[in-house]
Amino acid sequence: MSSLARHRGLTAIWSSERGWKGWFSTVNHNDVGLMFLVTASFYFLVGGILAMLIRAQLATPHSAFAGPEIYSQIFTMHGTIMMFLFAIPMIEGLAIYLLPKMLGTRDLAYPRLTAYGFWCYFFGGAMLLISLLFGIAPDGGWFMYPPLTGKIYSPGINTDFWLIGITFVEISAICAAVEFTVTILKYRAPGMTLGKMPIFAWYMLVVSLMILTGFPPLILGSILLELERAFGMPFFQVELGGDSLLWQHLFWLFGHPEVYIIFLPAAGVVSTILPVMSSTTLLGYRWVVAAAVALAILSFGLWVHHMFTTGIPHMGLAFFSAASTLVAVPTAVQVFAWIGTMWKGTPHLRLPMLHILGFFVTFVIGGLTGVMVAVVPFDWQVHDTAFVTAHLHYVLFGGFVFPVLAGIYYWLPLVTGNRRFFRLGEMAFALIFVGFHVTFLAMHWVGLMGQRRRISTYAPEDGWTAINLISSVGGFVMAFGLAMVLIEIVLTLVVRHRAPRNPWRSGTLEWAVPRPSAAYTFASLPRVASRDPLWDDPGLPARIARGEGYLGEPRNGWRETLMVDIASGEPEQHVVYPSNTRLPIVLSAITGLFFLSLLVKVYWLTPIAVAGVVALAWRWIWRLGSKADLGDQPIGHGVRIATVAEVDRPPGWWGSVFLLVANATLFGSLLFGYAFLWTIAPGWPPPAFIQPSVPVLIAAPAGAALALVGALGAVRINRTGGNPSGFLLTALAGGICLSAAFAGLLWGAPSPTGHAYGATVWVLGCYGLAHALLVGLMASFVFARQRAGFVSPRRRAELAIVSVWGAYLLVVTCLIVLAVYLPGLVT
Amino acid sequence: MKDLLRILVSPVIWLASFSAIYALHGLVCAVDPGMPGPGIAWPRLVLSLAFGLAILVQIGLLALLASARFGAAPGFVRFVSLAGGWVGLVATVWTLIPTLATTPCG
Repeated sequence: MSSLARHRGLTAIWSSERGWKGWFSTVNHNDVGLMFLVTASFYFLVGGILAMLIRAQLATPHSAFAGPEIYSQIFTMHGTIMMFLFAIPMIEGLAIYLLPKMLGTRDLAYPRLTAYGFWCYFFGGAMLLISLLFGIAPDGGWFMYPPLTGKIYSPGINTDFWLIGITFVEISAICAAVEFTVTILKYRAPGMTLGKMPIFAWYMLVVSLMILTGFPPLILGSILLELERAFGMPFFQVELGGDSLLWQHLFWLFGHPEVYIIFLPAAGVVSTILPVMSSTTLLGYRWVVAAAVALAILSFGLWVHHMFTTGIPHMGLAFFSAASTLVAVPTAVQVFAWIGTMWKGTPHLRLPMLHILGFFVTFVIGGLTGVMVAVVPFDWQVHDTAFVTAHLHYVLFGGFVFPVLAGIYYWLPLVTGNRRFFRLGEMAFALIFVGFHVTFLAMHWVGLMGQRRRISTYAPEDGWTAINLISSVGGFVMAFGLAMVLIEIVLTLVVRHRAPRNPWRSGTLEWAVPRPSAAYTFASLPRVASRDPLWDDPGLPARIARGEGYLGEPRNGWRETLMVDIASGEPEQHVVYPSNTRLPIVLSAITGLFFLSLLVKVYWLTPIAVAGVVALAWRWIWRLGSKADLGDQPIGHGVRIATVAEVDRPPGWWGSVFLLVANATLFGSLLFGYAFLWTIAPGWPPPAFIQPSVPVLIAAPAGAALALVGALGAVRINRTGGNPSGFLLTALAGGICLSAAFAGLLWGAPSPTGHAYGATVWVLGCYGLAHALLVGLMASFVFARQRAGFVSPRRRAELAIVSVWGAYLLVVTCLIVLAVYLPGLVT
Repeated sequence: MKDLLRILVSPVIWLASFSAIYALHGLVCAVDPGMPGPGIAWPRLVLSLAFGLAILVQIGLLALLASARFGAAPGFVRFVSLAGGWVGLVATVWTLIPTLATTPCG
């Protein structure tokens, strides 16, 4: 087959629908990645305009530009948009677009999930944007502290928009994190061991694991605060056994790792681009990986340093002060590796490099002020002042926006196929760099002089007028620079100035694909022998196009790729992806209906939306698999491997494992909240603990054990050629028994509105009930699939997935029963 | 998957022990009987013992990661997992040393 025939054959298989309809049905990472990037850029524009409004307000004393109510909405939405609708989605978009190309595979692990994540982001973001346009946007600050955001002090719908909208958007981040983790571990070019992965993939692996463990505490906090606001469950009301500090813990358990979730991918961009700009390899690749892992995990031990002024005992302060200083070490390892890389190579001062140098200067200053606020007495002095605002902008703008701008200019030829023509970027960089430092150096200064953050105005006699004016002028200069970047990107898209393949002479695989990328990404999957395959073999792109790699022959209309062994990178499973479908957008719209019903309090709609989600999810999975054994499939080079339906650990198993990591973190956060209220909240112990119910004590563990035994038994008997129906029905019976047990637990629970204890018991019971129903549903689904002929002794993958969820259910059931009944037993 | 676990285990155990000792600190201060301990106040004794245990666990992990039986084969994963082992140990010592040095329940 000629390269052209291969290109046409693969394009026919992998292309999206033609015309505008294609945007709603595409599941291809090339499309969805760009959709994320464009939408995130739009939100950057909106967040930037809000920032300019803030600076216009603060430019002069006694400003009448915006009243305090509107100003509160503006700064809240600025922070919220930049954090949740720009930074994280930008990372997601970049990784969705780049990771398959860098890893040498054709798409991410779950293409429909990629699209579903995008549409959740799109609809959730739209929800927040609409609130802004109607003047009912959140106004409690981007970290939404109760009691200010409780029903008493924020009775309107503003806070609900934040809690519900952000939770909706976070579905997108969790989807992306599961997707990236499985893709990086299992979907790589043959031969790409862990030590040969591109450094950006390592950073994204670390960040994905951080999202899976960092976001659930905030999701939990948002659920609890919304339950308090909507139904009066008093998790954060001190007079009813709650504690507003619980919110701060849950928020910062997310919020501090969030800073590193934003920074680390940007560091991955720097570690990718800097060696190319210096014509060398990254110095200390292994050290950089170790530092990224260390930084990620250490960042989870810092959350209390945002709470130094809340009256924490000395020893607690000392723990978190010490941990806060420690993160400077792995950060410094990376910075020195980058400096050493430049020292080793020959740096070329091209446009991406300018932004990287801007990153160095800005981020190092931000890091140093970070060490300053890690010192408790200093933090007490500057807490809630503009100094902290300036510090976080140095870290986030320096540590994220400069690297992202470097990345945009670096990968623009790959995305557009064109190179820059008008050369506005250098001037834009100068304006951004100067404007940024004028704005935020001044803000440090005025913060040290005592200006509190979030104030809508100040008096001339405060002595802050000139500094604020300078800061505002700097802000507008920076905005001009960013507008020039936008103009240049648009011009590069429309002015056809063809870029050569691999214009920067990079060694990584993304430059081996056609530019702009073809729908199928790689015509055949290359075998990789080092971290820089294009430096090893400059002819590799041509050999890929000639189909000399794996899966080089289009067949059966299949969208094919490979899964590999994690350690060795050797081919392990043959994957056939689903093709274009509108299921993701429809499912996300119904998911949105669920959130909307909660927002506008039309609760009769909520169960209908849940039923819709279940029905569509059923249809989603039903379309996968085959009713016949396909046997081992040829993948080229004389190798044959099993398809994913005929293995013990299919993609769904891997996805379930990592989704359960997030789920377990949410559950763990709930138990933490329970323990926190018990030991710290002033209104404890509650008037009475729930007394153990013998039927529940017996039925709950027995039901969970039955569900697991049924799931495991189904796997075992199916393997030996027997019929798993009986065991699947046993698992279903276990799920029903357990659901009844949790219903009984809730029946006997104290009122959820009288005390935080009762509210916590209710949430624990509902969590258990939801999981019991879910496992029952999964058992029913696989039973139906087995009856329809999708399961055979060879096609066993689906059974393994139910077992994983069954095991999780047993563990959480035991913990819930213990947490609910133990206090009643011992008191 | 084992390689990933080797890389992550020590820092994750640090995080678990750090969080557990912080929680223990809250607990012992909440239930402190106020009685003098054996030459040392009860809260500090309990916290110091926990600190010592956390260090021992990290040393044990480092030894395991360096061993031929449980450690990775020589190469990239071995280097990164051993670096992680050292990170876990140093982080444990540095972040939990306040158990010995500051007022427990002040």
